[in-house]
Amino acid sequence: MAAIVRLSSVCRRGINRNLVRLTVFACAMQITQCANSLLILALTAGSASKAASLHWTAERVLSILLLAMAPVAYYNPGPVMDYSLAAALTLHGHWGIGQVLTDYVHGDTKIKIAKAGLFLLSTVTFSGLCYFNYNDVGICKAIAMLWSK
Amino acid sequence: MVLLLRTLGRQGVCLSRPQYAVLCRHVVPMGTTAKEEMNTFWAKNSRSNRPLSPHLTAYKWTMPMMMSVAHRGTGIGLSGAVSAVAVAALVLPGNYPYYLDLIHSLSFGPFLIGLAKLGIAFPLSYHAFNGIRHLIWDIGKGFRMAEVYRSGYAVIGLSIITSIALVLR
Repeated sequence: MAAIVRLSSVCRRGINRNLVRLTVFACAMQITQCANSLLILALTAGSASKAASLHWTAERVLSILLLAMAPVAYYNPGPVMDYSLAAALTLHGHWGIGQVLTDYVHGDTKIKIAKAGLFLLSTVTFSGLCYFNYNDVGICKAIAMLWSK
Repeated sequence: MVLLLRTLGRQGVCLSRPQYAVLCRHVVPMGTTAKEEMNTFWAKNSRSNRPLSPHLTAYKWTMPMMMSVAHRGTGIGLSGAVSAVAVAALVLPGNYPYYLDLIHSLSFGPFLIGLAKLGIAFPLSYHAFNGIRHLIWDIGKGFRMAEVYRSGYAVIGLSIITSIALVLR
């Protein structure tokens, strides 16, 4: 990130736009790698409270990742961004609604049913988005087409 | 007597001093985890069928409260929209350009199209900017009341500007 700040302060606007794009993309890749290592750590972690706090951290990392994806998708649209966006959007929504359910649904069976329903919804959402990416124009192109209306 | 107690209190004489540890020798350590304690509480609470305490109706609606509700509302709305698009992609025949042309052929005026775009852009911008505000809270900054209100107004202002810019581009 510091590299981008230095670049933008030195270079004239417009000349190194591609370099900025590449650096933004590289940063996004770094964050993805961090998220992956955190995931592996979570799976090997011990107690339930440790898992809960790792989940909290993972939620924040994913949020930052999703924020970073927006400009990257704008400047580098394509299948890589389409599938990354599908995964990040679905997971962020899944975890977000999971928190809403935790807040408002009480009682063991009700929680189990609600979480199962949410899991089903998220699975359908992710498969639908992947289907859209594979068989149709893809998320980035779809938004571009919608907005040029 | 009172003077003696007040003097002792001022000097901080309490059970945590080593001379008094002998009195605490029979304290038993907690045998249950936080999760077990929580489950015991919820089992009793659900069984009692207690009415929900008025939280939305009893307190004055403040700006931070409304923004928090809006953050949750926009989150649920956006997630619902994403899921709806995904289900539509799986269920509906025909591809995306077909349906886009269908909407084009209905020839809505530019005002209605702009309104529809605003309906997508504003919740997205608001949720994103307020999300950044949440992340700033998560690193521990901006909890003072003045800061909460200031960042809140900044989020609302930025959301309006960004969504209008997105609609007009």
